[in-house]
Amino acid sequence: MSQRNRELVPSFSRPPSRVMIRKVARYEEDLLALIYESLSEFSLPVKDKTILLKPNLVGLDPQGVMNTHPAVIAATRETFLKLGAARVLIGDGPALDRDTQAILESVRLKEFTGMLGKDFCDLNIDDVERVELQTRATRLKELFLPKTVLGVDFLVSMPKLKTHHWAGVTLSLKNMFGIVPGSCYGWPKNVLHWAGIDRSILDINAAARPDFAIVDGIMGMEGNGPIQGTPKAAGVLLFGDDPVSVDATACRVMGLLPEKLDYLGRAGTMLGHVEASKIQQLGEQIDSVRAPFAVLPEFARLVA
Amino acid sequence: MPGVLANIPEMPNQLERTNFAAGLHDEFLSFLKTLQNADGGWGFHAGEPSRVEPTCWALRALLSHTEAQDTESFRKGAGYLQSAQLPDGSWPACAEMRAGSWITSLACSVLAADGQSGKNAAAGLKWLCDDFPRDSSPWMRFVQSLRPKSHIHSQNDSYRGWGWTPKTASWVEPTAFALLALRDAPAEQLPRNAAERRDLAVALLYDRMCPGGGWNCGNPRVYGVDGDALVLPTCWALLALRDAPEKPGRALSLAWLQEEFAKIESAASLAVARMTLENYGFERPHASRDLQDWSAQELTAQGTHVLAWVCLALDPARRWAPAAATINKDAAGKTS
Repeated sequence: MSQRNRELVPSFSRPPSRVMIRKVARYEEDLLALIYESLSEFSLPVKDKTILLKPNLVGLDPQGVMNTHPAVIAATRETFLKLGAARVLIGDGPALDRDTQAILESVRLKEFTGMLGKDFCDLNIDDVERVELQTRATRLKELFLPKTVLGVDFLVSMPKLKTHHWAGVTLSLKNMFGIVPGSCYGWPKNVLHWAGIDRSILDINAAARPDFAIVDGIMGMEGNGPIQGTPKAAGVLLFGDDPVSVDATACRVMGLLPEKLDYLGRAGTMLGHVEASKIQQLGEQIDSVRAPFAVLPEFARLVA
Repeated sequence: MPGVLANIPEMPNQLERTNFAAGLHDEFLSFLKTLQNADGGWGFHAGEPSRVEPTCWALRALLSHTEAQDTESFRKGAGYLQSAQLPDGSWPACAEMRAGSWITSLACSVLAADGQSGKNAAAGLKWLCDDFPRDSSPWMRFVQSLRPKSHIHSQNDSYRGWGWTPKTASWVEPTAFALLALRDAPAEQLPRNAAERRDLAVALLYDRMCPGGGWNCGNPRVYGVDGDALVLPTCWALLALRDAPEKPGRALSLAWLQEEFAKIESAASLAVARMTLENYGFERPHASRDLQDWSAQELTAQGTHVLAWVCLALDPARRWAPAAATINKDAAGKTS
């Protein structure tokens, strides 16, 4: 995570963000070429750097509908290496099941990436470091976070495009729940639920904000997500240099109003841009890929 | 065909298999000892600073050797745990933390077996029995009663177990670990309310069981949809309920685990599931993987706790499974 990304900058002082939408119908397409082409547009400062890809690996998923698809993870890893990165790590701390290896086996990650060895980090049991929380959106004064996350040069959040039964949607900001180590806070990371999910999302992202976000929306999930929802083919990948803008754009693709989402609205005041006018749209236009997602009745207010 | 058959290695007999497992157990245990840090503890990975949780699992694995408590390795490990204990009797998840956590149960379980750490274990058990999750406090239940009947959960909030962190909410695994700690402790270490806490926690575990058997983290049904059970929470819950009154759910959960066993592909789940089934006297079904498929180094890469779990599962003497509950309502009531 780069030092600049630890600063809280009001929206009016931020330059416009850039978000790219690409149409991708199937995971069998040439994702490496597409992702390389897309990331090249952003001129990312990754040469000779250590990158951490943080996918959403939430549970056993042999059908590939709840986790970030391994084909997307592998192609992204390959792309960063092609762009000159010194090392590309993959890491997550699954929230509900401490058997991370079982999840990796179920998604067949190794078949796509090859042997990862120490390039995969189980963030649930990584060595930790105390981080004082600046935002104090919750009552939490500190969190112990993985040294691997805090030590890399460039952090990429790679969520799945999903609705979420507690938070409304789970995208690149909510995906960062996965960096909070279960060995300290449990499975699920209950201290965050207890402190309030929406506000915890703000505290975590202020403490360890992703430098970039890539959303796997080729196959998403609607309704009672993030685990028990219904698969929803949205046929998109989203890329962006501001995770708040990426999430706002993803909401619009899902037919939802991002500013009505409590945590995203607040994130728009200090962590990035929510307003469409402050987001430079690259690739496809939102209207051309919009795929309305069903939400639980509790989140009917989000529907555009 | 004869040529093909000639290449199939002869199946080892039961004795050879047992000897092989014992050899593997010794090999893995020796490797585990090499991972011990100078301060006596173990990190989650080789060369990392000591943490309480991996230290507890490593010591538990060491206890599978006769006279382990007298070995230098165990004494140093127990010394690390004693030094990591907080003044209130609990254990933190990492050195810099100043609050106790679910790991207190693991430390109590290990130290209960150590004659030189009785006071430490008793203080930890007292902290455990004084820590009530806040979600099921009388005030929270009153607030809940004023709300419309929830369609989100269907759980009984009058039952109380233990949380991952103090004063939050009950979850299956920390509740199971606390029950195991209470079971492992000699009566003189148990606080006065131990039996009451155990009864509430047992009721909570049965209440949080998935409708199809087994447990996940503790959400058996959300928004009207049945939750899927997971191997590790199911195993810990079953081990914790080993000496609890029989209820239909336990047999259903054991049946779920037996069926699931064949599909397990990870060493951690395989090891703990094997311990659980053997603890209940079940012959383990054929699985797609076997514990000998991984080397000690590969297991360590998944975490010191995984290597320790495999050591426990391969322990020829099955010393990880205390024969009977040591908690006794009357005895608990007379202590402290």
